[in-house]
Amino acid sequence: MSRITLRRILRSLVLVLPLLVLGHNAEAAPRTVDYGASQISFSVKQMGVAVDGRFTRYTASIDLDEAQAEQSQARIEVDISSLDTGTPEADAIAIDTPWLNASAFPKAVFESTAVRALGPNRYQAEGQLTIRGNTRPISVPFTSTTLPDGRLRASGEFTLHRTDFGIGGGEWNKDDLVADAVRVRFNLVLGNAE
Amino acid sequence: MHRPLTPDQQRYGLTAQLGHWLTVLLLCAAFPVGFYMVELALSPTKLKLFSYHKWIGVTVFALVLLRLLWRRWNPPPPPPAMAPWAVRTAQITHRLLYLLLLVVPLSGWLMSSAKGFQTVYFGRLPIPDLLGKDPALGAALETVHWMLNKMLLGLVALHVAAALKHHFVDRDAVLRRMLPSLRRSTPLPSADGAR
Repeated sequence: MSRITLRRILRSLVLVLPLLVLGHNAEAAPRTVDYGASQISFSVKQMGVAVDGRFTRYTASIDLDEAQAEQSQARIEVDISSLDTGTPEADAIAIDTPWLNASAFPKAVFESTAVRALGPNRYQAEGQLTIRGNTRPISVPFTSTTLPDGRLRASGEFTLHRTDFGIGGGEWNKDDLVADAVRVRFNLVLGNAE
Repeated sequence: MHRPLTPDQQRYGLTAQLGHWLTVLLLCAAFPVGFYMVELALSPTKLKLFSYHKWIGVTVFALVLLRLLWRRWNPPPPPPAMAPWAVRTAQITHRLLYLLLLVVPLSGWLMSSAKGFQTVYFGRLPIPDLLGKDPALGAALETVHWMLNKMLLGLVALHVAAALKHHFVDRDAVLRRMLPSLRRSTPLPSADGAR
C-alpha cells in the first residue's frame, strides 16, 4: 500500500467519522411531539363509576430508537393544572390541596431510567414517576406503531396507586368512595428527530 | 262510616300492594335526596347521594316494569262506583304515573351518560351508556329530568289528594283497596255492622 493511498484512507476516515457520529447524534435527538394528536389521560373509579380525564398541557422529550430500544429515553412533564375531566367542579377538587395540590406541586414528571424491547414494536420503560412531590419507580409497557405518514405512535397504559403519591385524603379516602387504582393512558404521536 | 267492599270492590292483591308501597317508599327517598344533593358543593357526601339517588331510580324503573307485568296477568279490581269523569281522570292519572315512573329514571340515566358519569347499580353493575359524553346535551337533559320530576310530583300530589278525598270525604273504599286487610278474609265492616 502506497503512502498516498493510506493518506487518502485516513483523510476519508477523518472526514467520514464526524459525519457518522453526528448522524447518530441526530437520530438520538428527541423526536418532535404532535401535541394535537397526542393524549395523556386517566381514569379512576368513584363508587364503581369511571371518571375519565386528561391533561391538556405537557411537554414530552422522547427519543425512541426502534432499532436499539435501550438507547431510548423519555422525559415527560405534565402541567397538573391542565387537568380536564369535562366537569369544572371535579377539576377544581382534583387539583386542590388534598388531591394533586397543583399550587405546591405544579408538575408531574416521568423520567425513564431504562428501556428494553419486549418484542416487535413492544417495549417496557422503567423510570421514576414524581407526583405531588413523591417519587416512585414504575414500569410502563408501551407499543410503537408507524403511522401511514411515517410518524410514530407510542402508546401504552399503566396503573398507579394514588395513595402511594399521597393523592387524595381525609374524608375522600373513607368507605372506598374513590378507588386507589388510577389507570393512566398515553398516546404520543412522534415526528422524526429534529 | 265506611261502605263495605262489595265483591267488585276487592282489594288489590298483596303483590300489587307491595309494589305500590315499595314505590312510595323509594320516591320518599329519591325526591328529597335529589332536591338536596343538587344544592351541595362537590364533596364525598354529594358523590354518595348522587349514587344512592341513581340506584333508587334504577330500582324504581325495574320495580314499575315488574308491576306493569304483574298487572297484565293480575288485573286490578274494577273501579268503584263513581262519576264517569272521575273514573276517566283516575285512569289517566294512573297511566301518567306509570309512564312518568319509567320516564323519569330513564331521563336521569340519559342525563348521567351525557354528563359523562355512567350509572353503576350498587357500584357493581354497570348500566351501559346509550349516549356519549356531551355537555350541551347533558344540560338539556338536566332540564328535562327536572321538568318531568315536577310533573311526577304534581301527579303524586293529585293521586294522594284523591285517595284522601275518597277516604275522608266520600268515605268509600278506594284507599282501603290499596291497604292490606287486617283480618284475613274478613270483609271491611259495613256501616251497619260497625254499630
